[in-house]
Amino acid sequence: MPRSGHLPLLLRLEATRLGDAFRHPRAGTWAGVLLPAALVVGGLWLAGESWRPDVGDGNGRFGLGLIAAAPVALQAYTVLFRPGDDGFLRRLGIPARALFAQRALRLLLVALATALALMIPRVAAGEVAAPLAVALTSALVAWAVSLWKFAGAAELTVKPSRRPGLLSKSMALDPELVKAGPLVFAPILPVIAGGIAALLAGIDVGATLPVRAAVLIAVALLLFPVAARRFERAVPRFGPHGGELAYAPPPEAGDSHLVIGRGLARVLPRRAGAVRARDAVVVDRRFRWAGRAVAPLAVFAVLALIRAGDDAAVRGWVALACGAMLAAQGVAVVALGRSERGRLRWLDRASGLTMADRLLGRWAAAFGLSLGLVIPLSIGWAVSVPTSPGWWWIAGAAGGAALASAASVAAAGR
Amino acid sequence: MNGRSMTDDGLPLRVRGLGKAYRRGVVLRDVNFDVAPGAAVALLGSNGAGKSTLIGCVTGDRLPDRGEVRIGGADPFADPAKAAAALGFVPEQPFLYGELTVAEMLRFVSAARGMEADGARTESARLLEMLGLAGAESTLCRELSQGMGRKTAIAAALLHGPRMMVLDEALNGLDRPSAARLVAELDARRAAGAAVLLSSHDLDFVAEWCGSGILLGPGGVWERLEGELWERWRRAPSLRVEDHFP
Repeated sequence: MPRSGHLPLLLRLEATRLGDAFRHPRAGTWAGVLLPAALVVGGLWLAGESWRPDVGDGNGRFGLGLIAAAPVALQAYTVLFRPGDDGFLRRLGIPARALFAQRALRLLLVALATALALMIPRVAAGEVAAPLAVALTSALVAWAVSLWKFAGAAELTVKPSRRPGLLSKSMALDPELVKAGPLVFAPILPVIAGGIAALLAGIDVGATLPVRAAVLIAVALLLFPVAARRFERAVPRFGPHGGELAYAPPPEAGDSHLVIGRGLARVLPRRAGAVRARDAVVVDRRFRWAGRAVAPLAVFAVLALIRAGDDAAVRGWVALACGAMLAAQGVAVVALGRSERGRLRWLDRASGLTMADRLLGRWAAAFGLSLGLVIPLSIGWAVSVPTSPGWWWIAGAAGGAALASAASVAAAGR
Repeated sequence: MNGRSMTDDGLPLRVRGLGKAYRRGVVLRDVNFDVAPGAAVALLGSNGAGKSTLIGCVTGDRLPDRGEVRIGGADPFADPAKAAAALGFVPEQPFLYGELTVAEMLRFVSAARGMEADGARTESARLLEMLGLAGAESTLCRELSQGMGRKTAIAAALLHGPRMMVLDEALNGLDRPSAARLVAELDARRAAGAAVLLSSHDLDFVAEWCGSGILLGPGGVWERLEGELWERWRRAPSLRVEDHFP
């Protein structure tokens, strides 16, 4: 097959796979997609002012730029290097350039979806055009910079002669992290580039906002061919290496992490308690990031509220950051369900676990995951913002956990 | 890599100085072997001995710490397209797109491999018939049983007539008639110059069908079983390295 023929083939495959949800509709699939989507859209709509930085102001544009760029940068590694069919396609001899083009298009969709999602609270307020131009500029610049930065980081990671830089060495506690240093820090530049692009897009230099946005995006697009060449050089060695980066050594503590019926979990029925304990351990190990960022975020959120909680903008940023963290944890819980589909569900069936056991146990695990954040946050909020009850955070987390666990169980299937 | 270079000598598979370690320790240590045209080589070892790691290094799914691999003369990490053209691989847990039917899956594989459409259709139908999958063309891959899924993966791996076939526990889950027809197919391909590297826990079958072996043990210990060593192993098949190399 000519090299140019592989991309259309991959795109047809993509279309066939996406079309499967319509050709063979399954309730679990749709629930797994629509429930989190409804959660995000509803949250953005209701959050209103908190999610609407003023694009007429430099700080506001920079803030909107960071918000638009961050999901793109954080998804870039998974989209570029960790698709489930990566090994299969490489073994088929699909050229790296076609793989790059396909995955760059997927990441482009993430960028466009992010920019559009950020317009939801704007639609509620009736202002869209200028913020959309700013958000699109940021997301697309972050997209191009992410492609370039991550492809370069992957290439660097598998370079035999590479010596770890200062930042990589700063993670010396874990030699595997030191090896993956360039990838760990790769999202930073695209996020900053997105913020700066949004800032520049609003500076009046004679041209209109759409023209300035188009120029910035065009400049960023110059990175695309460089990124493609980097990816092409990196992927034959990084493809297999990436799978090993995800390898985590087994915990040394045997089964001591799986504690059933401790603390508040005692109130759960025994079977639901077992599901909670299992799900909590699995989420913690499989989606370690969902728990790792909680403690520093909680500290920063409480400090910010204590120091400047009377400032509406600060409260908005705290709400934004903590809401995003809770949404990310919800995504991890849904992803747990998706990972069970067609594989692990037999264990629950064979153990006699009912749907109610699974739902209750998973909800308790999801809610427990969020408590490290929402308990200090609700206390800090109640103390620094007397007019606004802090317990809403706990109630919101419980509700979000209910939605996420329902979507997760639905995604796992029967 | 160890700096020793290899040239395309026509061998379906050549491995030199292969080494691989994980956090838990060394799994492969300086592994060297060739697989000649027409050969069927058994990859032996108990669970965790490193069979899948060795296969992964050969197929380009694991990055070796050192050493070189050539599939049909091509380095899977430097010239993946050429290596892919020479390789047919059935993993222990085959990958299939659940959203595609069996026929769509094979059609995608043949198109990705650049096969001519009519020839690919004929060969797909022949392989499906041989594996007892005729009539299942319209079944979605996610609805296949384990054995049917494995058969689909085998058909996908053999479709382009690879010089080197790597089968990781590929006979697991196959019914006896299908397994017998698959072995006959592999024999026909070996007679035409292709080679097989087979990982299996069915020691009786391996002892009967393969002509040599590679026995892996814990800590990177390994031995090439050829000639007299292979004959001795065949008389008392075992996965314990110490039984053969006290």
